[in-house]
Amino acid sequence: MKFHLSHLQAMLLFALLISIAFGFLSRRRPMDRVKYIAWSLLLFLLFGIGIGWAMYPFSR
Amino acid sequence: MTDQAESVVVSAPDKSREARAIAIGVAGWAVPGLGHALQKMWGRALTFFVVVGVLVIVGAGMRGNLFGSEGGDAFAALGYFADLGTGSFYWLAKYIEVGGSDVSRAYGDYGTRFLAAAGVLNLLAALHAYEAARGRKA
Repeated sequence: MKFHLSHLQAMLLFALLISIAFGFLSRRRPMDRVKYIAWSLLLFLLFGIGIGWAMYPFSR
Repeated sequence: MTDQAESVVVSAPDKSREARAIAIGVAGWAVPGLGHALQKMWGRALTFFVVVGVLVIVGAGMRGNLFGSEGGDAFAALGYFADLGTGSFYWLAKYIEVGGSDVSRAYGDYGTRFLAAAGVLNLLAALHAYEAARGRKA
């Protein structure tokens, strides 16, 4: 079994799975969980893409 | 009232509850989600089983570094501790990763992070199950 994920795919999958786990761990009500998961996923992606762009000038 | 009398007296039911909570924590570590399943928290149990399972399968499938006990430095020891956090899924990762790790490519390095995150997440879930069994939070 082998997976060849791109950088973006790996980040998306990681962010989604960790956000879901954190949402279920820290919230009890379904609506609160959905909000927490969405917010956490958004922050993961914003920070991930933001740090990626911040490193861009040093990559060449 | 003396200091001894003021000290917390642990009654038999408390001891039994503590022992049960420890057993639930260990079960939650050994099989992701089992600690919550034993307390009938089905949503959390299924979530942790699936999330930790997917992280381990994808991490091993990306040929991440699965640390062993023979690691020579502190980082290898920490990596081994994190990987062991997945409990029985550690051997599942070993079974999947028959070709060994390959961190010469980026996705192999990502796989290492997936495996470590799965372990740490499972330890967090086991701790949560333990605390819930003690009645502290749920």
